[in-house]
Amino acid sequence: MATVVATNETLLVVGGGISGMTAALEAAETGKDVVLVEKGPALGGRVSRLYKYFPKLCHPTCGLEINLRRLKASKRIRVLTLAEVRKVSGAPGNYAVTVSVAPRYVNENCTACGACGDAVSTEIPNPFNYGLNNMKAAYLPFSMAYPQRYVIDPSIIATGEAEKAKAACQYNAIDLDMKEEVLTFNAGAIIWATGWKPYDAAKIQPYGYDRFANVITSVEFERLADPRGPTGGRVIRPSDGKEAKNVAFIQCAGSRDRNHLTHCSRICCMASLKQTTYVRERCGDDAKSTIYYIDIRAIDRFEDFYQKVQADPTVRFVKSKVASITEDQKTGDVILHGVDTEGYHRYDARHDLCVLAIGMEPSVDVRAIADVSVDVSGFIEASIPDGGMFGAGCASNALDVNRSVQSATASAMRAIQVINRVARAEG
Amino acid sequence: MTELNHKMVEQYRNDFLKEVEANVEEGDWVKMCMQCGVCSGSCPFGPDWEHPPQEIFMMIRAGKRDEVLRSESMWMCTSCYNCIVRCPRELPITHIMHGLANYAHRLGIAPKMNPTRRFAKIFWDNIAKNGRVNELDLSVKLYFMDGFKKGVKRAIEMSTVGLGMLKTGRLNPFGLVAHRGCKDKKGIQKMLKKARELEDRRRGLATRGA
Amino acid sequence: MSEVKLGTYICRGCGIGDRLDTAALSVVAQKEGKAQLVREHDFLCSADGVATIRQSLEGGEVNQVVIAACSRRSKTEAFNFENVTVARANLREQVIWTQPDTPEARELTQEMAADYIRMACAEVKKMHVPAASANAGTNKRVLVVGGGVSGMTSALEAAKAGYEVLLVEKTGALGGWTAKLYKRIPFREPYADPVETPVHELIAAIGKEPRIKVFLNSTTTRTSGSPGQFSVDITAESGNTMTENVGAIVMASGFSLYDANKLPHLGYGKSPDVVDQAGLEALALKAAADGARIRRPSDGREVKNVVFVQCAGQRDASGEHLTYCSGYCCNASIKQAMYFKDANRDIDTNIIYTDLRTPGNGEDFYRSAQKKGVSFTKGRVKAVESAGGSLTVRFHDLILNDERATVTGVDLVVLATGQIPNSGMNIELKAEPEKADDGHGPSVEVPVPVPPKAASVLNLTYRQGPDLPQLKYGFTDSHFICFPYETRRSGIYATGPVRRPMDLVQAVEDATGAALKAIQAVENASLGRALHPRSGDLSFPSFRREGCTQCKRCTVECPFGAIDEDEQRYPVFNEGRCRRCGTCMGACPVRVISFENYSVDTVGAQIKAVDVPDEFSEKPRLLLLACENDAYPALDMAGMNRLQSSAFVRTIPVRCLGSVNTIWITDALNSGYDGVMLMGCKHGDDYQCHFVKGSELADYRMSKIDDTLKGLNLEPERVRTYEVAITDIARVPQLINDYAEKIKEIGMNPFKGF
Repeated sequence: MATVVATNETLLVVGGGISGMTAALEAAETGKDVVLVEKGPALGGRVSRLYKYFPKLCHPTCGLEINLRRLKASKRIRVLTLAEVRKVSGAPGNYAVTVSVAPRYVNENCTACGACGDAVSTEIPNPFNYGLNNMKAAYLPFSMAYPQRYVIDPSIIATGEAEKAKAACQYNAIDLDMKEEVLTFNAGAIIWATGWKPYDAAKIQPYGYDRFANVITSVEFERLADPRGPTGGRVIRPSDGKEAKNVAFIQCAGSRDRNHLTHCSRICCMASLKQTTYVRERCGDDAKSTIYYIDIRAIDRFEDFYQKVQADPTVRFVKSKVASITEDQKTGDVILHGVDTEGYHRYDARHDLCVLAIGMEPSVDVRAIADVSVDVSGFIEASIPDGGMFGAGCASNALDVNRSVQSATASAMRAIQVINRVARAEG
Repeated sequence: MTELNHKMVEQYRNDFLKEVEANVEEGDWVKMCMQCGVCSGSCPFGPDWEHPPQEIFMMIRAGKRDEVLRSESMWMCTSCYNCIVRCPRELPITHIMHGLANYAHRLGIAPKMNPTRRFAKIFWDNIAKNGRVNELDLSVKLYFMDGFKKGVKRAIEMSTVGLGMLKTGRLNPFGLVAHRGCKDKKGIQKMLKKARELEDRRRGLATRGA
Repeated sequence: MSEVKLGTYICRGCGIGDRLDTAALSVVAQKEGKAQLVREHDFLCSADGVATIRQSLEGGEVNQVVIAACSRRSKTEAFNFENVTVARANLREQVIWTQPDTPEARELTQEMAADYIRMACAEVKKMHVPAASANAGTNKRVLVVGGGVSGMTSALEAAKAGYEVLLVEKTGALGGWTAKLYKRIPFREPYADPVETPVHELIAAIGKEPRIKVFLNSTTTRTSGSPGQFSVDITAESGNTMTENVGAIVMASGFSLYDANKLPHLGYGKSPDVVDQAGLEALALKAAADGARIRRPSDGREVKNVVFVQCAGQRDASGEHLTYCSGYCCNASIKQAMYFKDANRDIDTNIIYTDLRTPGNGEDFYRSAQKKGVSFTKGRVKAVESAGGSLTVRFHDLILNDERATVTGVDLVVLATGQIPNSGMNIELKAEPEKADDGHGPSVEVPVPVPPKAASVLNLTYRQGPDLPQLKYGFTDSHFICFPYETRRSGIYATGPVRRPMDLVQAVEDATGAALKAIQAVENASLGRALHPRSGDLSFPSFRREGCTQCKRCTVECPFGAIDEDEQRYPVFNEGRCRRCGTCMGACPVRVISFENYSVDTVGAQIKAVDVPDEFSEKPRLLLLACENDAYPALDMAGMNRLQSSAFVRTIPVRCLGSVNTIWITDALNSGYDGVMLMGCKHGDDYQCHFVKGSELADYRMSKIDDTLKGLNLEPERVRTYEVAITDIARVPQLINDYAEKIKEIGMNPFKGF
């Protein structure tokens, strides 16, 4: 299949989350050719897995729809999914890029009719839902997946299951002989929009994420609250499926901590404030949310949202870094231990569910692939003068969506400068 | 040692944080606390603290010198190190607690009847005298520190342990009259004296009297 | 393209062929849809299927195409044919996937499909291939208003990309607030110490950049035109005015500090030793210039004890002061405390805060300050008092729960006051509302700008007012989380603290992005293409002058201020400013406004094309006008999830609910539809409408349609408006089914068959 037509006036964007899509679209809409490389099978990234955005409580897929429409309308963007950049060499204005493309086992004939999914019975953990549920091994990553094309999971390749999927397809869209491909092409400038990943919660030993079923992370909580998620939007406890009404939120789970991530992940305070509204939305006046925090960092107009949540009588704020969590084995309840430092009050607080406002860390170390410099937290540093590679979004810092998009737009500008310099030099 | 106390009050004029930084082991770390409270919540003796560590740090910054130094709180620390491993700012909290206790003791304003302090003193005097612990002397002094009646009661409570120690040769039954100290006791005592002098000089704790 | 040659291509794939009688659909296309060419294909989106269509296009057999297959959201690239109008009949997501696969359901499913074929054929005949406007502006220069760091950054970045820039600064020097800083907060590792500001570097770079022309002591006194062809009067202090043409504008007018005189309880104005952060920067600069330590304003003694009061006049829920947080002040106070500590570690520096807000690597900076001995106290400052040559700060210590905590012997108190945007005039402040009353519909209030309190920054000649609309608290921010650069005045981008309180790092990032949006605007304008969110759209509104009643409704309702009025009060469409939402078209009571490929007729023809059974058939017809941005995708995804909904509904996607003209509703009801549903985005404070006001306006218009319904003797329930989000995948079929039930209850429309 794939050959990529690219020149040193082409811009490579690595990462198909909101930052990468934004960088690609903004550059394309300014008249530049772009290759957009995404590791996963679909665009959308981490925000597509959020139920709502703060502070408007609107839905991320709303913006995704617009971005996908922009993408479909643009002839300047070439999208490669299941693709990873392996190597970058060369210099600003003239990079050589090696990209490997993993087999999808489904070609562009796919109409997303769903027959292969119906034919297959093997189930695998659903990564879109952070493994909280299973899905068929022939799957569409999510309803708004772009490309709108199924994927056959490698685990069923060379089994009867894959053959069943192939037999079910009427459009000759399943190609079980697909192999990994390696592409090489040129690019004038590169934007790394490789995003973030949640810090490994199991490393925060006293919170027992690996031991207690009812200790979950904030990203998992988003999936529980989402009607498209594994529970159909019901906020229930993993231990027993009981509705969670009394929910604890622990801030700085991994962030602002010399033992874990030294930086403040910026978004987690707002995320927890937002998530209290999910509890409220479901349980009304019976809801009970408690936020355990060090400092509530609701900067600029986000403060309005903080004040709104403060005014909700079902939400309590405790200025405390929770010391440890224990589990009541009979009920599955989690008991948080610590000290409210405002005036020194000790607590052993029982909750249905505990949500760790998990910190953000860069999802990949780009230094292994390309010559970029990163800060102590691993975020890509601002480019050196006359450089040709730029970080965007959460690859460059712990940012909220709005700031990620600003960052991505700025990175598109910097990349365009490189490309225009090349164009001018070439006359 | 109230003279030392006066000297320090005079020298630091209300800037207790600076006093702690200069004179308390690891006191330099106090300013790094961000008041998250994880130490206070992590302490197994937590409920018994009048002022938990994070609050003590704040009190130090707020200049509450007497309340801190005369407090029983830091004497509660059992060196379990829970606070140290969890502190997001890597403060050596255990060491600071001991440092504060020691400093209060040196100033002579530590709570007189605090059992930890009294045990520590008995232990130190015991070991410093002979260069090695005299178990029998230590036990007797410890058990009887609150009077004869309580002492007898405690001794009876601990009698099985005592007998066990006797049998295994861990306790010299004649220790009260014939304790064998280490070699060159004088040398040890000289060393300890010198060490204290050096430390006091370093910390500026030397006074005319001390 | 004079002769219409319509080709209809019916796909039989994805179960369409099994579930529907496609041969019968072909007959419908031919007989009723008047298609010259009808083809069925087993797999239309395949290379072969697409080639079939291309061949007939290239062979000149057809010049209009109807694709009767899946949703317009699917296989978009495959069915993308240039220079030809294409309509999609959504037989998959919204017909076979919403109906049960049972023999009993076949008849109704087939009727649905036949209607969608009729509708698509009717629509495409009314569509024209949009040709870019002949009035496209081709000026590619960028005007930057404001010479602070934001403005200088935007100017430099645009210039580095090869664009010419005019940089207008009101004062006699570039640099803005940052020029008044001693040092800045560190912006890269090691995040430990204050560092030099970028001002000198930026000014030097601008001096060396031949593409930038700087106008000092100047303001923009008149701005007219549209992207690609703005005309700007730049007036110097002397009164000299030059008129320049530019293609896009970046507004970087910065901020002012909140007036600390409003904080007498914190001692400001009572003691010269109480200053705001700007005051401290001045003291620090003076000290640096003198090679001395920072001294007290009152008596010139060296400051030995300084207290920083965070959130001074900010985060004030009472509403007396600023309610928001300015976001940068915690780091700024930390930096300023370091001015003292770096000079002399014995100086007492205490920062009293309620929440210390140092996001990201600010945490390192916070730690660095602690290491330097800066004290941090969580507390709420109640009063700053001056007595006996020093200050006393009274506060509630929140950790020690001491309501009467004090810091005494303080030499200097620094108040961290917030940023107020320099956004010019608030054009939405209403004076006496002007009524736009045309006798054709509900009257609307026309916002009339009040006489300016603040001088205008841009002095736009727009009918809608001289400055950018403000979002909240005077900030000219975008309302959209995913689209932070969306402004309501095309080709004009606000950047820096004028749009949101921010620090230097963010301002630089923001200004770089704004520069991109500016060059993007000029590139698109030169091609006559729309800007976000319908980027690339070449259609634009035109109006039939002879039918226009000069009612002003379009000019008033345009969310983007794209329409001016000429001397005779006819609308003047500035195509470059238009976002192609169609709100003007929906607003027009005499229906004279249309786009080439989207008009009152393209939708009206679809409504009329539906076969409405008579009133005894027990087959009601429900019209659903669905916003294409959120409601329509939700309907599609409901289909993908095989959620069933009434077979009586006929859905037409609209660009925005704001484009819905009430004539469509009354026509539908007059022609026998039993009910009309409108699904649009959320409106109100947290509106989600991509065109800002569209769904709100639609809601307003529909609330007024009751009178019309009454006049027709129809129940008000015959028209219903719903706020729908894209995630309402399970809810939309439910809404449809509930509504179908409702209509069953109130009975069929008596107008059937008339």
